[in-house]
Amino acid sequence: MKFFIDDLPIIFPYDRIYPEQYAYMCDLKRTLDATGHCVLEMPSGTGKTVSLLSLIVSYQQFYPTKRKLIYCSRTVPEIEKALTELKRLMEYRVAEAETEEEKIKEQSFMGLGLTSRKNLCIHPEVSKEKKGKVVDARCRDLTNSAACEKGRAEPGSVDLCEFHEGLNSATPGAIIPQGIWTLNDVLEHGKANGTCPYFTVRRMMPFVDVIIYSFHYLLDPKVAEQVSKEIDKDAIVVFDEAHNIDNVCIESLSIDLTRPMLDAAARSVVKLGEKIEEIKTTDAAKLQNEYARLVEGLQDAGDDPATDEYMSAPVLPDDLLSEAIPGNIRKAEHFVAFLKRFVEYLKTRMRVLHVVAETPPSFLQHLKDITFIERRPLRFCAERLQSLIRTLEINRLDEYSGLQKVATFATLVATYDRGFLLILEPFETDNSTVPNPIFHFTCLDPSLAIKPVFEKFSSVVITSGTISPLDMYPKMLQFSPVVQESYPMTLSRNSFLPLVITRGSDQVAISSRFEVRNDPAVVRNFGSVLVEYAKIVPDGIVAFFPSYLYMESIVAAWNDMGILNEVWKHKLIFVETPDANETSIALENYRRACDNGRGAVLLSVARGKVSEGIDFDHNYGRAVIMFGVPYQYTESRILKARLEYLRDTYRIRESEFLGFDAMRNAAQCVGRVLRGKTDWGLMVFADKRFARADKRAKLPRWINQYITETSSNLSTDMALTLSKLFMRSISQNPNENQTGVSLWTVKDIEKAQMLAKEQAMDMENQKAADDDDDDEFSDGGISDSMLVDLDI
Amino acid sequence: MPTLCTAQTSYKKSPGLLELTDQFLQWTPAGSKHPSLRVPSSQASSLFCSKEGAAQVRLKLALVNDDAGYNFTFLASQPVALKERDKFKTELSAIISGNRNGPAEPTPAPTAVANNNKGPTLAATSSGTPTPPSFSQAPTPRSGAQLPPASSDRRGADRASTPILAGTDAAADFRLRRVVLMANPDLLGLHRELVMSGQISEAEFWDGREHMLLAQAAMEGQQKGKPGQIVDPRPEAVEGGEVRIRITPQLVHDIFDEYPVVAKAYNDNVPHKLTEEEFWKRYFQSKLFNAHRASIRSTATQHVVKDDPIFDKYMEKVDDELEPRKERAGQNVDIFVNLFATQEDHHEVGNTKDVTMQAGRQRGALPLIRKFNEHSERLLNTALGEGPASKRRRTDDGTSASLLLSRYFESGSKGKATADDELSQPHDAMAFIRQVRVDLHDWANNLSKLSIERKHGDTALLTMTQNVAPRLETRIRRNEIPEPILRQMTTCQTAANEFLRQFWSAMYPPRSDALQSAGGAPASAAQRATKVAKMAGYLARTPEKVEALVQRARADGVDSERVRTAMKPVLDAAERAVVFHQTKRLRP
Repeated sequence: MKFFIDDLPIIFPYDRIYPEQYAYMCDLKRTLDATGHCVLEMPSGTGKTVSLLSLIVSYQQFYPTKRKLIYCSRTVPEIEKALTELKRLMEYRVAEAETEEEKIKEQSFMGLGLTSRKNLCIHPEVSKEKKGKVVDARCRDLTNSAACEKGRAEPGSVDLCEFHEGLNSATPGAIIPQGIWTLNDVLEHGKANGTCPYFTVRRMMPFVDVIIYSFHYLLDPKVAEQVSKEIDKDAIVVFDEAHNIDNVCIESLSIDLTRPMLDAAARSVVKLGEKIEEIKTTDAAKLQNEYARLVEGLQDAGDDPATDEYMSAPVLPDDLLSEAIPGNIRKAEHFVAFLKRFVEYLKTRMRVLHVVAETPPSFLQHLKDITFIERRPLRFCAERLQSLIRTLEINRLDEYSGLQKVATFATLVATYDRGFLLILEPFETDNSTVPNPIFHFTCLDPSLAIKPVFEKFSSVVITSGTISPLDMYPKMLQFSPVVQESYPMTLSRNSFLPLVITRGSDQVAISSRFEVRNDPAVVRNFGSVLVEYAKIVPDGIVAFFPSYLYMESIVAAWNDMGILNEVWKHKLIFVETPDANETSIALENYRRACDNGRGAVLLSVARGKVSEGIDFDHNYGRAVIMFGVPYQYTESRILKARLEYLRDTYRIRESEFLGFDAMRNAAQCVGRVLRGKTDWGLMVFADKRFARADKRAKLPRWINQYITETSSNLSTDMALTLSKLFMRSISQNPNENQTGVSLWTVKDIEKAQMLAKEQAMDMENQKAADDDDDDEFSDGGISDSMLVDLDI
Repeated sequence: MPTLCTAQTSYKKSPGLLELTDQFLQWTPAGSKHPSLRVPSSQASSLFCSKEGAAQVRLKLALVNDDAGYNFTFLASQPVALKERDKFKTELSAIISGNRNGPAEPTPAPTAVANNNKGPTLAATSSGTPTPPSFSQAPTPRSGAQLPPASSDRRGADRASTPILAGTDAAADFRLRRVVLMANPDLLGLHRELVMSGQISEAEFWDGREHMLLAQAAMEGQQKGKPGQIVDPRPEAVEGGEVRIRITPQLVHDIFDEYPVVAKAYNDNVPHKLTEEEFWKRYFQSKLFNAHRASIRSTATQHVVKDDPIFDKYMEKVDDELEPRKERAGQNVDIFVNLFATQEDHHEVGNTKDVTMQAGRQRGALPLIRKFNEHSERLLNTALGEGPASKRRRTDDGTSASLLLSRYFESGSKGKATADDELSQPHDAMAFIRQVRVDLHDWANNLSKLSIERKHGDTALLTMTQNVAPRLETRIRRNEIPEPILRQMTTCQTAANEFLRQFWSAMYPPRSDALQSAGGAPASAAQRATKVAKMAGYLARTPEKVEALVQRARADGVDSERVRTAMKPVLDAAERAVVFHQTKRLRP
C-alpha cells in the first residue's frame, strides 16, 4: 500500500497496516526531520522491523540527500531476519514502481549484512576451524597485503586465499550486483563465483545504502575503528532490540586479565624479542623504516584498512592520532622491554591474596612508582604493538591474543580516568581456597562507549519491544531524545494472558529469593507449575530461570523428586547447555517436536543464550513460564561498583536499577512468545515478588495493561483455571473483522490523518480560547486551592 | 475421432483391444478389424474397479439403462495394467460426471425403491430432480475418483467447499464420511432423513460440517509414539534391607535401546563369563548403572558402590565438560536458531559473567541435561526418522505447512483399498432390512414352538468335559523346566528378539525414515550398514548362548531336548538373519 505522511510517500509492503505501526512511522519521521535521537517502544510482534525499514527506505529514496542507514541488531538470526524483511520490501517497491526511472532507482538500492569471518568464510580449510579467533588469524595470514604482494610477485611462494584473490578482478563498487543480499545470499554468491563473501561485504560497504550488523561493530571501538570509520555523519543509526544496549556498551570497554593470559603474554614478548633479533640480522632496514615512520606520526602507518587489520587500539580520539608515538617505545627492542616490564608488574599484582579495587589514576600512580612506566607510552601500547606486528610480518596472530589483551588493557587504563574501576579478585568465589586471580578492568558508565556514536551521527534511533521505563535510557546513555514514545498494542481480542502466580496450590509462597529458592516446598511448587502447564498447554512451552546456576540445580532436584517424570509423560524436555552448538541442536529438535505435535518443554535462562534473539512464535511457544525474578547476582563486585557509580553520578538508586534490570529481562523473556497479532500465548510469572505494584510498573505498558487485579496474585490452581478458560476462548474462530480496529487500510489512515488535523485545529482554537480565558481571569486572585489550604 | 486411451483387455474371456474415444468406448477382438462392441460414452452411468492388490485388474462399466454393464480385464502385467486402468478410470469418470450434469440426457426417473437398491450415496442425487446450476460448474473429480458417478460430481462440489481435504482422495473421503456418520447416531439419522430421501444433496449436507471430517482424518492420522519417560528402574524395597528390581522383557528392551553399551556388555559376557541372572544382578550394582541413572543423588552414592571388574570396563567418561564429548559438528542448524553464529559474530568482550551466570558450573547436572536432550532427540527420531532437520528451513511458512499437512494426511490414504472393496459392491441396506423383516416375521410364535432335544445337549457337555480333562493334565505336567532356567530362556529369547528387530529395521528401514532422509540418504545408509553388521555379530552368537542353556539344563537334570526345541524358533530366526546378512547387500 502507498500512503503519505506529510509530503513523504511511504510504500508499505502489505495492504493492511497496524495503527501502532502508523504511529511509529510518524514519530520516526519526526525524528529524522529534526535530525535528532529517539527512544521508541513498540510491542513485540507488531512488525517493528518492517515499519522501520519501510519508513527509512522511503525517506532515503524520496529525499535527494541519500542518508545511509546503519541498522544494528543483537544476534545473527535477527540480522538475517531484518535482511529478509528488507529484501521483501525492496521486491515490493520494485514491483510497485510507477515509472521506469523509479524502477531503476529501486533496483539499484543496495543492502548488505556483515558478520564475522567465521560465519562467512568459505575457504575449505580455514572455515573448518572451530574458533572464530583462529579463523580470523589464519584468514589474515592468507590475505594481508604483505603476503598478497609476495604471493603475486612470485606465485607459489606464499599461501594465498583463492577466494580473496578472486575479488581482485572485480571493479570496486561492483563486486556483486545491486540489490539486497542476505548473509545466506552472499555466501551462495561467494561459493558460486569463487569470491570471498567476507571481503565482498567489507569492500562493498562504502557503496551500500543499508548495512545491517550487530551492535558491537559500532560500539566496540576496536571493531568500529576498522568497520564503521568511513560512514558519513548524516547516516541514520538504528539500534533495534536495544533493551540491553547499556550492557553492550559496558562490555565493549571492559576487559579481564587472568594468570594464564599473562603467562602467554610473557611468552609472546620473548618470541617478539627473538623475532626482532632475527630480523635485525636479515633485514635491518625494515625496522629502521618503521622507526622513521613512527617519528613522523601514526597516521601514515595504516594501509588499506579493509585488508590489513591486525588489531586496533580500543579508543583513540582523532586528535591523538596526529601525535607521534613517544620516543621511548619507538625502537622495537625498547618497546619489547617496555612490554616485558609491564607484564611482570601485572604478574606481581596478581599475587596479592585479598580483593583490591582501585581507580585507573591510582593504578597508574602505583605503576609509575614501581616501574617508572609513564602514562603516555602506555596509552600508545596497542597502537605500537600493531605496528610492530605488521613490521615483523607475524603469522598466526591468535597465538598472541594474550599480549594483545595486555596491550588493550594498557591503552584503556591510560586513556580513561572516570567511569572505570580496576578490581582484583584473587578467588573465584568466597568459598574457594585455591587462588585463581582475575584482574577486572570494568567500565561503569555505558555512555562512554556510545558517546562517539551520538556525537558523530545526527539521528540515532533506539528501539525495542521492551524498553520500559523509557526515561531510564536517556539517563544512562546521556543523550536527549527528540521523541520518546511507547505504543500500546491494539488488539481486537486479548491474544495473550499474563498471570502472576505467587503461591502454589498448597498456599506456600513461591519465590526465587536466595534464602528460599532451594527450599523443597518452593522447588516442588515450581515443579508443579511446570507439570500442570505441560498437561494443559499444546505444543511448546518455554521456561526461563533467573540464572544458569539455579536452572542446573533445580533440574537435578526435579529429576530426583520425580517431577520431570511427570513432565516426560506429556512433553519432551530440552535444556539449554553451556555449549552454543549443542543448544542450537536442542533448539532445532525442540522445534521439530512442536511441529510434530509431540510438544516439548524448553528450559532456559533469562539473559542467557536462548533468551536473546530466538523467537518462540505460534506453536513454538504457547506458554512461557518465568520461574523467579531474573535479578542479577547482587554479590558480584562488578555489579556493586556499577550500582554505586550509577547512584553517585546519575542519581539512579540501586534498587531502582536492579528492579528495572530484572523486569526488562523478564519482559524480554515473556515477549518471546508473542510474535504477531495472530499469535497467542500465556505468560506466567511465577514469583510472589511479581505481585508488587512497583515491579509490575516496570513492565512495558502493553504487557502491564493486561494484568488484571485478579490475575496479579494467584495460586497455581487458580492460574490453571484461568489459563484453561483463556485457551478455550482463544481457540474459537474470531469472527469479528479486525479491519478498522487493529488493521488499517489506506482509507483508515487517511481518516486518522483527517481526524488528527481536526484535533490540531480544535486544539488551536481551544488554545486561543484558553488564552482569552486567561486574559479575563488572570487577575492574580486567590485560587480555590489556596483558600482550602489556608489555615485560619 | 481422437482416441483418448487404449489397452489390451479381455472381454467375455477373449482378448482384444479396448479403446476410448471422445464419443465411444469400443472393444475390438484380437485379429478382427472392426470393433465388436461399441458403447456411446454418453450412456455410461457408473464405473467400478477391482480393488488394488486383487489378482486381476478389472473395470466394469454400467450403462444408464443397463446395470449389468460390461466387464473388462486388463491383460498387461500388474503395474502396467493398473496404470492403464487408472487412465481409463480418469477419463471415464470425467465423462460420467459430464453425463450426470448434462441436462440434455433424459434419464428415466427411477423409483424410490430402485434408488435404495443402489445404495445410500447413489440414491442421493439420482432422484431425478434437475441439478442446480452451480452443480454443472463443479470441477470434474480428480483421478482418484472411484465412486459411482452420482456421488463423484458431488464430491467435486465438496472439494470446492472443503479445500483442506483436497489432499485426500475420493475413497478416503467417502470412508471418512461413513466413519463420522457411524460415530454419530444422531447425525446418521439426520443424514438418512435428509440426504437419502433426496431432500438435500450430499454436498449441502456436509457443507459446514467439514470440521468433523477433518477431525476424523486428523484423529486417524495420529500415531502414538513411544512413551517419553526415561528408563529409570527404581528398586523396590523388600523387607530385610534388600532391594529388588523386577526385570521384565520390556525393561530389558528399553535398557538396551537407551544404553547401547549395556547391550554390548550383555553380548560380550553372557553366557561365557556371566549367566543372565548374574549379569543383571551385577549391572544393577555397578557404577555403570549409577552413571546411567545420572542424577545428583547417584553421584553421591558413587563411592559407596563397589568396583566391578567387568562393568567398570564399560564405563564412559562422564560428559560434564562445557563442550559436549560427542562432536556434533557438520550439523548445519537453521540460521534462525543458530546460537553459535551469534557467539562467533564478534570477539568476546567484557568482563566474565558472575558465578551464577556461568553455564555449566553445576557439573553434576550437565550429564543429566545432556541425557535429557539426547533422550528427547532419540524419541523424536524414532517418530520422525533421523532426517536432517536442518534441510527443512522455515524461511517460507507456506511450504513447510503444506509439507506438514501432506504428512498429516498421508496415513489417511492407507484405508483406500478397503474402501474400494466396499464401493465395488454397493450396499443394499434396504433389501437387507426387508430380508430381515421377512425372517423375523412372527418371531414370537416361532420361538414358543421351539423345542430342543435333550440328547444333543448331553453329548455337547460330555465332549466339552473330555476336552477339558487332557488340557488340565498337560497343564499339571508342564512345569518340568525349573523356574531359573525358564527365566533365562525367556530373557535370552527377549534379547535375541530385540537384536532381530534392530537388525531387520536397519535392513529395511521404516517408510517414514525413507521419507524423511531423502536428502541425507548416504549418511544414514552408512549408519544402517554399521548397525546391521553389529547386530549380525550379536545374532551370530545366539547359538552359543542357547548351547550354554542346553548344557546348564543337562547339568540340572532337565530334558535338554525340550530346551533345544523351545529355543529352536529363535535359533532359526537368528540363523536366517545371519545368512541373509552374508548373502544380501543392504537395501539402498
